[in-house]
Amino acid sequence: MTDAETTTHGASERTALPVEETADLVSRISDNVERVIVGHTDAIEHILITLFARGHLLLEDVPGVGKTMLARSIARSIDCSFKRVQFTPDLLPSDVTGVNVFDQKTREFEFQPGPVFGNVVLGDEINRAPPKTQSALLEAMEESQVTVDGTTHPLPNPFTVIATQNDVELSRTYELPIAEIDRFMKKLRLGYPNHADETEMLGRVANRHPIETLEAVATTEDVLRARETVSDVEVSEPIRSYVSKLATYTRDNAELGVSPRGSIALVRAAQARAVLDAREYVVPDDVQTELPSVWAHRIRPATGSETGETVAQAALEAVAVE
Amino acid sequence: MSRRTFRGGALAGIALLLFALTSELYHITDVVGVGVSTTYILVAAGTVLAATVVARLLRPRAAFVLTLLILLGGFAAYFFSLPAGQRAVFSLDRVLADVVALLTGLSVLRLAQADVWALAATPAPVFFTWYLALRRRYVAAATVGGATLGLLVLTGDAGPLTTLAGVVGVAGAVALGTLEARGGVSAQLDTFAIVVAAMIIASASLSVVPGGAAQPLLPDTNTPTSEQNLVQSNDQVNIEGSIRLSPKVRFSVESAEPRYWRTGVYDRYTGSGWVRSESDTRAYDGRLESGPGDRRELTQRVTARTQLESLPAAADPVELRGSPANDALVTEQGTLRVGGSLRENESYTVVSELPQYTPEQLRRSGDDYPNDVSGRYLQLPDSTSDRLRERTANVTEGEENAYDKAVAIEEHLESTKEYSLTVEEPSGDVADTFLFEMEAGYCTYYASTMAVMLRSEGIPARMVTGYTPGQRVSQNEWVVRGLNAHAWVEVYFPEVGWVQFDPTPSSPRQSAEDVRLESARQSNESGVDTGNSSTGEWTPTPTDTPAETDANTTTTSTSADIDGPQAQQSGANASVPGGAVSGLGENQTFSPTTNTSGGTGEGDSGDGLPSRESIGVGLAALVGLAAGARRTGVSTRAYRSVWVRVQGRRQTPERDTERAFERLEYLLSRQYRPRRPGETPRRYLRSLSRLGLDERALSVGEAYERARYGSGVSRDEADSAIETVDALVRRSTPVLGRFRS
Repeated sequence: MTDAETTTHGASERTALPVEETADLVSRISDNVERVIVGHTDAIEHILITLFARGHLLLEDVPGVGKTMLARSIARSIDCSFKRVQFTPDLLPSDVTGVNVFDQKTREFEFQPGPVFGNVVLGDEINRAPPKTQSALLEAMEESQVTVDGTTHPLPNPFTVIATQNDVELSRTYELPIAEIDRFMKKLRLGYPNHADETEMLGRVANRHPIETLEAVATTEDVLRARETVSDVEVSEPIRSYVSKLATYTRDNAELGVSPRGSIALVRAAQARAVLDAREYVVPDDVQTELPSVWAHRIRPATGSETGETVAQAALEAVAVE
Repeated sequence: MSRRTFRGGALAGIALLLFALTSELYHITDVVGVGVSTTYILVAAGTVLAATVVARLLRPRAAFVLTLLILLGGFAAYFFSLPAGQRAVFSLDRVLADVVALLTGLSVLRLAQADVWALAATPAPVFFTWYLALRRRYVAAATVGGATLGLLVLTGDAGPLTTLAGVVGVAGAVALGTLEARGGVSAQLDTFAIVVAAMIIASASLSVVPGGAAQPLLPDTNTPTSEQNLVQSNDQVNIEGSIRLSPKVRFSVESAEPRYWRTGVYDRYTGSGWVRSESDTRAYDGRLESGPGDRRELTQRVTARTQLESLPAAADPVELRGSPANDALVTEQGTLRVGGSLRENESYTVVSELPQYTPEQLRRSGDDYPNDVSGRYLQLPDSTSDRLRERTANVTEGEENAYDKAVAIEEHLESTKEYSLTVEEPSGDVADTFLFEMEAGYCTYYASTMAVMLRSEGIPARMVTGYTPGQRVSQNEWVVRGLNAHAWVEVYFPEVGWVQFDPTPSSPRQSAEDVRLESARQSNESGVDTGNSSTGEWTPTPTDTPAETDANTTTTSTSADIDGPQAQQSGANASVPGGAVSGLGENQTFSPTTNTSGGTGEGDSGDGLPSRESIGVGLAALVGLAAGARRTGVSTRAYRSVWVRVQGRRQTPERDTERAFERLEYLLSRQYRPRRPGETPRRYLRSLSRLGLDERALSVGEAYERARYGSGVSRDEADSAIETVDALVRRSTPVLGRFRS
């Protein structure tokens, strides 16, 4: 989550897109991505919500289910730069952020931006890199800027990180601590496609991969304006109170509940969800739809029989809608 | 409902139980002891404090041992407080007999040194009960405290209110204690309230044990009255509220002259009645001692006309002949008691020695009372009011001797109080209430008050019950009915003995009885007449000089004093004791007599506001009903059914829309199902729309979302939502809805 980003780039003079147009924009992007990615309609929606709510996304999955392809499709659809970092145990922080290189001609150091300088950054298998390198990326996410040798370099806008975690080969990995995971707005699993989807997918890629012919349906300007739209969505007092009570419930019923940062993330995601529905205000349904993907990874359950998901679900059932 | 609330409630229950227990024992010390009641309060409070401290320190086993020690110490203290003479005859058999007597209705008030007994018996149960309650062992606490109170119930000392308070306390402690341990909810509290209300109402309106102290609090119009209770129990007289008269013939007496036929003597005034103190009742074994002074013998032959539980005789009986003599008992007060009961038509002969005196003699008799008389017959509760003492002092001001004081008190009562059988039972001290707050009463009120006033002046006096002479049916035979039952006063004069005074005005009393007897005859009640009694009064011819009714001819001149009625009657009516046809027949009974004052047709002053008990029971009923309504949801549903139909005053469009949706939601909860807590309005309506929900409801839902979460709704949108809900509500009301739409 990036509060700082808002301040860095300012609540600029950019005019917000009307909600109807924004909703239309989202469905255009979504449709476009689905030309490449079969199934996973919900996941695409979640990623777009993260994008418009200025958040970052953590994908936890086995290799080969199309994580990279998904991220590339989205980047291509909104006509913005796409960067990919493969995290390995020997990756250094400067490999992510970039380094100052001495230019022989100008006799000056020149900053060589690292792969983090992209609109959509895919951090692949982030848990394979040592914590120092992980934190370089996480700091960039938090601050929307990178500081190398005392010089601060702002990251491009929009800036969204899609990190993936491989949860099958756990040897020689550095699991992300909860405090770090908290910085991702959402955590998703794609999972294997079902039979029909896989059949369909195989048919599409058999000859020529559709990603190569995918065309942009939106501009980065559109995305930035849509972000303004999301920020303008009204969050009424009953909704704020409802979210607070949900958070309190997780704090009372788990070893580690949801932080205030988690509550903010939920409200932002709910705002984006309202925009998807072409609505200018958040209703409890938005909160309920967003809660599992925004909160489950932030909760450490009290007992082994529970998971973050079950606690989140219990909160939804137990806390009365206001 | 927090556990703390339940614990507070459970402790309050135990406290109520202890309060009921100690208030009963306190009453005993108040009545019997002199200055002991203050000590008693200190002892009780100290015990509770000690238990509070010990509950933090000692384990239950140690506390139990401590309780046993306290109990033993208490009984040792009681034992050594007894007079040496009684201690000498102490034996295990005697203790067992006493225990059995207590458990079968011997009032603690009648024990020797009852005040010390109460003091000694208090600490152990109070200590252990409160200790257990503080240790959260409410059931055990209720058992200990309840058993102790139960003992007082068996002895007849605990009245219905006290018993009820104790039972409610026990129920509360056990119920709330359980709720505390298991974690209760308010619905269970409602159930508890219903049960307690039912307990109070049931015990207030039903009486399992007729007579005794266990009377229902509420008037019970069906219980028959019987003056036999007065005569048969002979151990105590409770002052009742309104009473009625029983016209049945009880016995007939063959005697040379009419007397008051005495059956019971009471020495201990309890504030609410009288008891006969008990320590040494022996079997009748030959001629009795009569009082001091000159005596004249009178032989009477009494024949029971119904089963009889007493031995009516003129004071003071000295010799008894006939079958009842075999098992008759002699009380400490020198009266005869029947061992079992007399069968119908069983008869006995009793010889009495009547005191001989003149007023002058009584005036001169002084105040040199024997110790046993002044020790026993000057007793008054510590709580006797100062105003009663002051009033008595005023009334007797200027009178030098006991006799004149007694006459002054008697005249004061006769002249200031009206005679009525219909009175509201006083809640406080009977004498005080009668003297200062009541305008009318009947014989027990007059007699009690007079005896108490005399005692406050240091004159030994006692309450006496029995029968007035009755209807004279021949030269020397009198028929006595239930309505002749009466109470009067005996005052002790040195060198003379007990002299009877009757402060009850006789003429209104007799007319009340005549009316009752007449109506009984007209309605053909059985047992009203026997043999020749229906033919009316036997009137002696002028030549017949009936036996002088008074002890001595000289007393007839004092028309309104000694031997009250007889003196009055014979004095005013020369030789015709006609007024004695039907003496006063109030049954000062212990059965739940009530406002239906039979055929007396006398003063109806007791009606008006319901008594405090009735109000209390009514309140309990209300609480129970309210809890029941809440428990079953009737009240909520009734309120809601109105609520759902009324939109109410228009406010902001947002508020109106929200209200409209709340009504819709309630309507749907009745038609389909309630919305679950975690269910959003939108999801709720969608899931219902699959069950055939009216489409219009969805539009209300949308308006509600805008009003509550969005930027608001316009007036028109709000009105349209209200209209929609109104329409839906109308449609759901079967009859009215079709009629209107």
